[in-house]
Amino acid sequence: MIARDFIRLTVGSVIAQRLRSFLTALGIAIGITAVVLLTAIGEGIHRYVLNEFTQFGTNLVAVQPGRSTTMGASVGAFGNTRPLTLEDAAALKRLPRVVNVEPVIAGNALVEAGGRQRRTNVYGVGSAFPEVFNFSVAGGRFLPPDDPRAARAFAVLGSQLRRELFGDANPLGQTLRVGGDRYRIIGVMDSKGQVLGFDVDDTVYIPAAKALDLFARDGLMEIDVLYQAGANVDEIVEGVRRVLSARHGREDFTLVTQQQMLEVLGSVLDVLTFAVGALGGISLLVGGVGIFTIMTIAVRERTPEIGLLRALGARQGQVLALFLGEATVLAAIGGLGGLLLGLGIAWLLGVALPALPVHITWSYVASAELIAAAVGLVAGVWPARRAARLDPVEALRTE
Amino acid sequence: MTLHDRLRYAFTALRGARLRTGLMLLAMAIGVAAVVVLSALGEGARRYVIGEFSSLGTHLLIVLPGRNETTGGAPPLVSETPRDLSLDDAEALKRSRHVRLVAPINVGAATVSFGGRDRDGVIMGATHELYEVRHFKMGQGRFLPPGDVHHPQPVAVLGARLRRELFGSQPALGARIRIGDRRFHVIGVLQEQGQSLGMNTDDLAIIPVTAAQSLFNVTSLFRILVEAPAREAIEPARRHIIATLRARHDGEEDVTVITQESVLATFDRILGALTMTVAGIAAISLVVAGVLIMNVMLVAVAQRTAEIGLLKALGAPARVIQRLFLTEAALLSLLGAAIGLALGQAATLLLRQLYPALPFGAPLWAIAAAVLVALVTGLAFGVLPARRASRLDPVQALARR
Repeated sequence: MIARDFIRLTVGSVIAQRLRSFLTALGIAIGITAVVLLTAIGEGIHRYVLNEFTQFGTNLVAVQPGRSTTMGASVGAFGNTRPLTLEDAAALKRLPRVVNVEPVIAGNALVEAGGRQRRTNVYGVGSAFPEVFNFSVAGGRFLPPDDPRAARAFAVLGSQLRRELFGDANPLGQTLRVGGDRYRIIGVMDSKGQVLGFDVDDTVYIPAAKALDLFARDGLMEIDVLYQAGANVDEIVEGVRRVLSARHGREDFTLVTQQQMLEVLGSVLDVLTFAVGALGGISLLVGGVGIFTIMTIAVRERTPEIGLLRALGARQGQVLALFLGEATVLAAIGGLGGLLLGLGIAWLLGVALPALPVHITWSYVASAELIAAAVGLVAGVWPARRAARLDPVEALRTE
Repeated sequence: MTLHDRLRYAFTALRGARLRTGLMLLAMAIGVAAVVVLSALGEGARRYVIGEFSSLGTHLLIVLPGRNETTGGAPPLVSETPRDLSLDDAEALKRSRHVRLVAPINVGAATVSFGGRDRDGVIMGATHELYEVRHFKMGQGRFLPPGDVHHPQPVAVLGARLRRELFGSQPALGARIRIGDRRFHVIGVLQEQGQSLGMNTDDLAIIPVTAAQSLFNVTSLFRILVEAPAREAIEPARRHIIATLRARHDGEEDVTVITQESVLATFDRILGALTMTVAGIAAISLVVAGVLIMNVMLVAVAQRTAEIGLLKALGAPARVIQRLFLTEAALLSLLGAAIGLALGQAATLLLRQLYPALPFGAPLWAIAAAVLVALVTGLAFGVLPARRASRLDPVQALARR
């Protein structure tokens, strides 16, 4: 039996029972469609979340006060016995390969300007904020690099706060009151939307030293260190740890690198995508049972045919291969159909719901198709063996 | 032909092709079992989280400093405010019949040391009321004593693990420990609790709230927990809190009040939706099982041509033949669903044995939906073969071998 005959015989028997083959393949197709779609959505969400994080740049190390963390945040931000100071930040900036440092204090206060009031987020930051967090200034300029001990009372508005307070009027040069103190508005930031649940548009940025006074704090909530791209993270972390330990007399702070965060997030999201795909795989299992059933029925129906083949000198192995081939072809056709359907729906989703991130990963798609063929093989083994083991004489007599 | 006859006929037909019937039942059972087990997992997670929240206290309102006006924005969870949420504010909240208990809280990080051992711990400044609000249980000794908050005694209550790490096998009660640069007497140890919503009380050191304020050099409170006496008092309590604090803060509303109910409802919604999604994904396999039933029934129609011809020749109308085949499909689905339910429940029981902490259990809606979907797919996919069978021409059918 040459390959061409083999293909003709297997494909021929699939085509001969059109409706039956179609329904068997449909079972597999539904399963594959589910797997492709679900992994596409999972992967889309994965990418979306990572993008949210990487828009801050990836060369960051965050320093938080206190060593204990609960709920993923440092408790030291609320209160601690050894605060992180602006001097600490300045000392970190002198480290080799550190591009910039960024002190952060987050707060909430009443902001007044032009006769309007609004309760909003107040961030005390340094002059490097746009560079460290990849923000851009829409108009005017960001806070100047003043000496922290004599920071001028300048403020920069987020895009939404500017709309709420000034509408279309030009805010630059106007005065603004935050918690009773007067500030001059020198810039407006570009819109950035919600970033991980934090609204960075409904915000006013003031110098960190001023925020410390405003909130009567003696320490920063966080210092973000931006290092050169390509620098070794461990060296940077080691340097930060050395400098701060020397200044504080002991290690009473927590260091989190952006890369650690991304790795942890990435692995969690990978597990999620895989789990969702596996859920879709349950229907593949049922599809496999379907192939098994139909092939068993086919062997029983075609017993005389098998007997004839054997009588003509076909070896057991060839009969086995024929039936296995048929099962695999069924599954592969179903798999292909499922792929096309899954990709089509994924594309439609991308068009209809741009908000839902969908991303097709070809490795998942290829493995889904392989799994489909494997399901066909496994489900076909038992019926095919049964067919191969038939006694030719008995089989011929079944008519 | 009575129902009894129909059922007997269907049973006989199914028994006649044992392997085929077994496989179809298996396909249905896999689908139903998957739905049952997955929804049980989701439901277990949901009940667990809700139980955790309820264990935090009942009828709770949480007051945090600061307020955002962005609609739908997150409350200012980590924020400083120009105006403090002070101890006097907390005291003032007590004057209402809608408020049963008020517990001001401060948190921070500091080093706890005893006998040359240092541990970094989470320090919570609290008052006697917190004991009741948070439903703490004492392992040894007692909680912070009631009394004037403004004149705190230098006493501390330790979490179970913190005590173990500092004292090992030595007695902790009455010992003098240092937190930051101050000395405290240990008067109690909390019972081991483990994780509870990301807050592990085993690593806590609880000291009087005023002592915590001076230790961290802060004047503002981190949160004020308020317990209402009953469920219907929650809303009036919320109004009372906002009105009181606005009056005390020069007419400014600069606090956010979160009710425990709203947090609960949010979690409930999210986890409920997750369970639905997962069960829905599993239900896809039920459709696949339905397609299989249709396929096998079609094959059966082809194989049982002679039988159908005989029935028709005996005067059975097309309707009866349709019903025969539909009954068979429905029986297959129902039996498969029953087997699947049994399997699913067994797996759920096994999960409960393995993880006794999580209350696994498939919700009723999921079980009902799984059986219903199984039945509907079985019937829907059984219609086409049944119609095909009923349309056979009796003469032709009988003539065919």
